[in-house]
Amino acid sequence: MFLHIVHRTLALVLTLLLASIAVFLFMAVLPGDPARVALGVNATPEAIAALRAEFGTDRPLLVQYLDWVGGLVTGDFGVSYVTRAPIGPQIADRLLVTLWLVGSAMVVAVVVAVPLGILAAVRHRRLSGILLSGLSQVGVAIPNFLAGILLVALFAVRWRLLPSGGWVPPAVDPLGFLQRLILPALALGLVQGAVLTRYVRSAILDVLREDYLRTARAKGLTLSGALRRHGLRNAAIPVVTVLALQLTTLLIGAVVIERVFVIPGLGSLLLDGVANRDLLLVQGVVMVLVLAVLLVNFVVDVLYTVLDPRIGRAVA
Amino acid sequence: MKRRLRRLVVAILVSGLLTACSAGAGSAPQPTSTSTAGEDSSLVIGFSAEPANLDFTRTDGAAIPEALLVNVYEGLVKLDQSTGEIVPLLAESWTVSEDRRTYEFTLREGVRFSNGAEFTAEDVKFSIERVKSDAWTISLKKGMDVVESVEVLSPTKVRVVLSKPSNSWLFAMTTRIGAMFSRTGVDDLANKPVGTGPYVLKSWRRGDSIVLERNENYWGEPPAIKTVALRYFKDPTAMTNALLSGAIDVVGTLQAPEALDQFTDDDRFQVIEGTTNGEVTLAFNNESGPTSDIRVRKAIKHAIDHQALLDTAWAGRGFLIGSHVPPTDPWYEDLTGLYPYDPKRAKDLLAEAGHEKLRLRFRIANLPYAVAAAQVVAAQLAEVGITAEIEPLEFPARWLDEVFTKADYDMSIVAHVEPRDISTFGNPEYYWRYDNKEVRDLLAQADAGTDDEQVTAMKRVARTIAEDAAADWLFLLPNLIVAKKDVTGLPKNRIGEAFDLTTLGRS
Amino acid sequence: MSVSDRVESALGAVARAPTRRAWNPSLVVGGVLVAVVVGAALVSFLWTPYDPTRIDPAARLAGPSTDHLLGTDKFGRDVFSQLLVGARTTIVVGVVAVGVAALLGTPLGILAGMGPRWVGQLVMRLNDLLLAFPALLLAIMFAAVFGPGTLTAMVAIGIATIPAFARLARSGTLQVMSTEYVLAARAAGRSRLAIGLRHVLPNIASLVIVQSSVSFAIAVLAEAALSFLGFGTRPPTPSWGRMLQESQELLHEAPRLAVCSGLAIAIAVLGFNLLGDGLRDRLDPRLEEHR
Repeated sequence: MFLHIVHRTLALVLTLLLASIAVFLFMAVLPGDPARVALGVNATPEAIAALRAEFGTDRPLLVQYLDWVGGLVTGDFGVSYVTRAPIGPQIADRLLVTLWLVGSAMVVAVVVAVPLGILAAVRHRRLSGILLSGLSQVGVAIPNFLAGILLVALFAVRWRLLPSGGWVPPAVDPLGFLQRLILPALALGLVQGAVLTRYVRSAILDVLREDYLRTARAKGLTLSGALRRHGLRNAAIPVVTVLALQLTTLLIGAVVIERVFVIPGLGSLLLDGVANRDLLLVQGVVMVLVLAVLLVNFVVDVLYTVLDPRIGRAVA
Repeated sequence: MKRRLRRLVVAILVSGLLTACSAGAGSAPQPTSTSTAGEDSSLVIGFSAEPANLDFTRTDGAAIPEALLVNVYEGLVKLDQSTGEIVPLLAESWTVSEDRRTYEFTLREGVRFSNGAEFTAEDVKFSIERVKSDAWTISLKKGMDVVESVEVLSPTKVRVVLSKPSNSWLFAMTTRIGAMFSRTGVDDLANKPVGTGPYVLKSWRRGDSIVLERNENYWGEPPAIKTVALRYFKDPTAMTNALLSGAIDVVGTLQAPEALDQFTDDDRFQVIEGTTNGEVTLAFNNESGPTSDIRVRKAIKHAIDHQALLDTAWAGRGFLIGSHVPPTDPWYEDLTGLYPYDPKRAKDLLAEAGHEKLRLRFRIANLPYAVAAAQVVAAQLAEVGITAEIEPLEFPARWLDEVFTKADYDMSIVAHVEPRDISTFGNPEYYWRYDNKEVRDLLAQADAGTDDEQVTAMKRVARTIAEDAAADWLFLLPNLIVAKKDVTGLPKNRIGEAFDLTTLGRS
Repeated sequence: MSVSDRVESALGAVARAPTRRAWNPSLVVGGVLVAVVVGAALVSFLWTPYDPTRIDPAARLAGPSTDHLLGTDKFGRDVFSQLLVGARTTIVVGVVAVGVAALLGTPLGILAGMGPRWVGQLVMRLNDLLLAFPALLLAIMFAAVFGPGTLTAMVAIGIATIPAFARLARSGTLQVMSTEYVLAARAAGRSRLAIGLRHVLPNIASLVIVQSSVSFAIAVLAEAALSFLGFGTRPPTPSWGRMLQESQELLHEAPRLAVCSGLAIAIAVLGFNLLGDGLRDRLDPRLEEHR
């Protein structure tokens, strides 16, 4: 098992390295001279050359790459050509905001999916179960930004119960923070909840057919008792796994939600960076996102091996 | 072991949570738009284009001066919002020599920069010379080329000598190049602006807002509002929603005119509709491609029904103009009659030019008004046999590169918002690649002449470029402001580069 | 392969109705919805009530009527015609994206499953790399380089979907390779290519079909999100995603615009998801055993 973890860690590092090369090359190919964009409409050629020299974009690609990656490893993301501010702290700040959004969306998803999924599974032969299943299918089909638009139109504009967007850090104004978090978390989370519901349902259904559950019932436990004793724990593993993997979908889905609700998160930072041809910034943000995705997969992997030795052995 | 592990996990979570609680802080807290008049009054204004940084000496675009000029930075002179005249600001008064080449400014006394330094004639010399140096890289710095020398006569008197008389120079001094900088306050302009203005920068949360606070040491009449937050919205609907739900007090620039109807009937809000300097221009490549033929250009102009375009693309809000001049300029003339909507004439012209069926590359800026207008233009051109292929280019990155620098286009649309930028038609390198000596001479005449001579010459420039079909002016962007009923002092017309916060108040 | 791969593919099998019923509502409903969308796209080639790009300022923002079934938008364009032609964009996006992913991913996966171990490892590393770039992210990056547009979006989404197919093909191939049939064939000295064509392909075909349907739905959603952000189909070509984005500013005045385009997207996604589920039920009971 230990060997397996080492193996996976090496794979993680290798993939990160490959990703960094891919991202860097991609950015190098981007049309639209960043120096010109930073300096604007018909800036003088001397000024452009000077800016290029200042940021070292006139050096050979390999040198630039090594410099950048070296910085990344030590946590130095460089200074943006466009904003003239260090990139690292900006990314960290925005990442936290996005994490709040994604975290609360996951909470919403779980709160919705677990009870509904169990219900849909337990009643899967009855009308209520079928309806619930159908509802979850419909939920999956709705784009999350559409859900966001509708939520804003109703709760913020028509009924004026909640703000239509914006962001306040929780330490500064906890109530304002919560108010602003509800709608975007719902928009992101409800749709994700629909996806999760279906997984929960199937996991529970599978569990329901398992031998040990039948045994438990034979021993005299009620369905819910048996479920609670044995089923939920076993169903939890795949569900938790899916949840973790959904994290990446949520992270990216947050990009659009951030636009609708004007939340200063990582997604809007990325879009701004692309628009301003802020290469270093875009590279930094993309690497952070990639790292998040890879880390989550890695953690799930390792956790799974730890939790379920059968699988660990099967893989080794 | 399990217990210790659990405690460790809890500890990590808690400390993580504490850090996370200040997520999105940037720096200081934001005012909410509930406080009204008096010492602690505040206002939240929404805008669409966020500044990339706070240094307009090196970064182009309208967003930075919009926020900082007149509010944080002041010049020797400024434009009066209501009359459009040039009025004193940091200069109490000035004299102009007979030959109109020498300006002597008498400066106000007791003015301080926000870093505590005194404002003197040395700073004027420093600022003007800095524009001409490498420190400034934006193209507008050319406006200072005409300055030959700056002399400090005394701490409050400065003499500026121009190489030739220039009408546009004093006007240019009301724009961003005329901003006064402190000799000791230019080390981090991108993040720390140091000016003499009625407001100072309190905080900036990128992607969210800029907060300005009243300068308690301001030399003049303190502004009525203590704290102003400028919030930036990429999505126009998000901005109108914010106003409707009370999160902001003013929509500074409405980019979704369809949404205006929601507000006109609502007692809680006021709507202001005026003019701007933003000419939404359908640019033609005058140098190469089918559009280099004047008959093709004229045909296009006749094929467009401008009123219908305005009604459809911008909900009828805005003004029709016949040349590159807004109604607020002294030499404005209504030239919309030069090219009436006449599809038949358009077809005839095209046939004459030998282009019965024409394909044009319509590479526009990826902005709401441009995308909307382009669709109407393409549909109208289709009726006369021209197929215009719309290609929205990311603005500014790709548009600047492909259309503006390389002139790799047949037609394009973008709004030109700088005041008095008709002079770009005198520059054959500018992306319209329009080369007309007569126009260049007229522009020079206008600049050097008396006020009357300037008006006459500029009128002729406007007429000439219109007759030459150097471009087509689809409409003038309206100044659309929506605000809560109690906000006062909002500008009817946007004539300068700044969004003047000093006139605002709450009743 | 990595544990998460196994978990995902196991869950893929698990995330459906576990019992095979006599009739399969998912298949039926999904099939009908997909047929509606495809039908709309096909019909649009033959006839639409109006030219969807024709601007009619006099008829702006008209409500539903006998003239315009679903009314007009702010340019006076007929909404129904736009929806019909927009179906074309939707179908094309799905087909190209899924096509790219399936045509590139499936062979990769088969190769990984059948070839020498190092090939398998290489492909899996490549997969991990691609997996690190979700569709929307890749599409934004592509749009920045190649300019926004349908083609760019489709290719980007397709590339981002390759890992799903590769992983699927690989696990399917591994499974087939370990069946007695194949073991016998290999013992008899049959070439890998022959085995591949004769045994592997037909057996993973059903897996690929199911995944195609599901990935189609994801592609449609991704395109909608891209159009909403401004990186999608260029105007004036009708696209449901862009229609939804344009309808936002008119939400108070003409909510039907948002409803129409949003509903269209939802129907397409729902249809393909249900179809995928239904197909999974029908075509692959064997998956139930494979855990």
